[in-house]
Amino acid sequence: MKIPKFLTSLLVAVLSLTACHSLPEYENDPEGNFDALWTIIDEHYCFFKEKNVDWRGVYTEFRPKVRPDMTSQELFSLCAEMLDVLEDGHTNLSSSFNTSYYRRWWSDYPQNYNARVIEQYYFNFNYRQAAGLMYGILLDNIGYVRYDSFADGVGEGNLDSVLAYLSTCNGLIIDIRDNGGGSMTNVDKIVARFITERTLMGYISHKTGPGHDSFSDPRPYYIDPAPAGRLMWSKPTVVLTNRSTFSAANNFVSVMQYLPQVKIVGSRTGGGSGMPFSSELPNGWGIRFSACSVLDARGNTTEFGIDPSPGCEVDLDERLVADGHDTMLDFAVDMLCQM
Amino acid sequence: MNKILTIVAVVMAVCQAAATDSIAVRPVRPVVSAYAVEIGSGHVADTYLSPLNYSGWTTAFSYERMQAMKFDPRRWAMQLKVDVGLTRTDNPARNASIWAAGLSGRWGMMRRWTLDNGLTLAAGGSTSINLGALYTTRNGNNPVAAKASWTVNATASASIKVRLLGKPVVVRYQPTLPLTGIFFSQQYGELYYEIYLGDRSGLVHGAWPGNYFALDNLLTADILFGATALRVGYHNSVLSTRVSNLTTRLVSHSFLIGVSGEWFSIAPGHKISHEAEVISAWY
Repeated sequence: MKIPKFLTSLLVAVLSLTACHSLPEYENDPEGNFDALWTIIDEHYCFFKEKNVDWRGVYTEFRPKVRPDMTSQELFSLCAEMLDVLEDGHTNLSSSFNTSYYRRWWSDYPQNYNARVIEQYYFNFNYRQAAGLMYGILLDNIGYVRYDSFADGVGEGNLDSVLAYLSTCNGLIIDIRDNGGGSMTNVDKIVARFITERTLMGYISHKTGPGHDSFSDPRPYYIDPAPAGRLMWSKPTVVLTNRSTFSAANNFVSVMQYLPQVKIVGSRTGGGSGMPFSSELPNGWGIRFSACSVLDARGNTTEFGIDPSPGCEVDLDERLVADGHDTMLDFAVDMLCQM
Repeated sequence: MNKILTIVAVVMAVCQAAATDSIAVRPVRPVVSAYAVEIGSGHVADTYLSPLNYSGWTTAFSYERMQAMKFDPRRWAMQLKVDVGLTRTDNPARNASIWAAGLSGRWGMMRRWTLDNGLTLAAGGSTSINLGALYTTRNGNNPVAAKASWTVNATASASIKVRLLGKPVVVRYQPTLPLTGIFFSQQYGELYYEIYLGDRSGLVHGAWPGNYFALDNLLTADILFGATALRVGYHNSVLSTRVSNLTTRLVSHSFLIGVSGEWFSIAPGHKISHEAEVISAWY
């Protein structure tokens, strides 16, 4: 029997050169869980540079506060406090007893929205609902569509029905105040009704490694108009926003703001342009964080929000809310009547 | 005229005899087929989904076919193997799961050496296609890591036929090690949404044992009951990849049980001579 020696040598060489690749290892104790959280953010978070955060310095500040005997509640509070440094609405720590949120990105601003006022005083509770879209016609023959969340499903048939109902209107208001985001595919689906040719939506850049500067080149992405046979909208349009217009809703604004027939009215959006990833700690807590940066069509970050169109910044006058007036909506109607 | 008829008859008889002889000496190459179910423990880690090691159960169904090669049946044999597997694992805190599903097919040939003591050793190469995905129940925008590869492998086996409790048993051990190929991996922080939008760059990677280490160990014992056998065994599979700063590790240890047997494939109108040599792909 003659087994080729080279084959034996090759196998031995290969096996000696390789082994299973190493994986991160953390103890399931306060120190291990804290280190796991800090490392996950360190290696995957995408906005250190934009937010000028010294994450190593954060470790130096918070790590000494971790004690082996601290309770889960104490550890959670400490970790949540550390994550607040990022000032990121997409960064949450989740446990069985609490979920951390950085809320100041919207709580420091006027809410600028009261759904009841619109439902009661503008529609007398006589509005229509198609999947996630609430819609109707305002007094000045202006169409109104409210979309509470881009996580709510919207089908092409729903959009056809809504646009057909509003087709005789002189203008359209899309109210996405308090819309906290959802699915990007719903953004695409709605934007596709407002464009007539292939349109640059923006750019996406993802991390290519754990380094804070390891990013792919921003890659443009486009959207095509809705296919033939679908109803389109080309009349004057206003997108109503407030500070709680966030994430996918913010992305919707970032695209709509550059369409010629569209004005953004209201107050600065909440941002949240980082597509969030999820991970977890040894103790089972979940961590969500911004991991993939989405830029607008001009290459600008919208992480900190998008301003209304020039001359279109307006707040809700709380004194008039009691009388049934939404001053932001009134502003939008007046604008559309003049467009 | 009688002389001519006699000569023709003799020639035909000789030709027929010659033809009969050639059929008789042509070796018979039975097909070894095996169907098995595997059940065992599975371990999953994929840093695109989580930094933690997950553990749980794994199950698979496998089909294996072996046959001595026609061109040199005593020395060469082919092997085809198809596996469909499903793994469910939990994180250490047991509040999240990762499911792994995969389909793989492998075809190869091995050169065989039979020793005086009945041990048959073999070594050769194979090529595999593997498709699958990992899915975690807890992630939002990164819930899935797709897996796909095409590899060229080195493989070897040792088999022997022994008697155990009065029954003939074929014991076989076969390791398989991919040496090169290509495999799919999304980039470090890449969204599958980006791939959906058309970003196909950097998804396919050359494989070598430094970034794609896989080792498949299969130990089987086929207990023969006539032409059919009961197959029992142990299957260990390790896959460890490191590319785009992402690490994946899939490990399984499974007990397997199934049926196997040697089957003759005979073309219509042909018979097998009792004198024909039977060359098994088993040993």
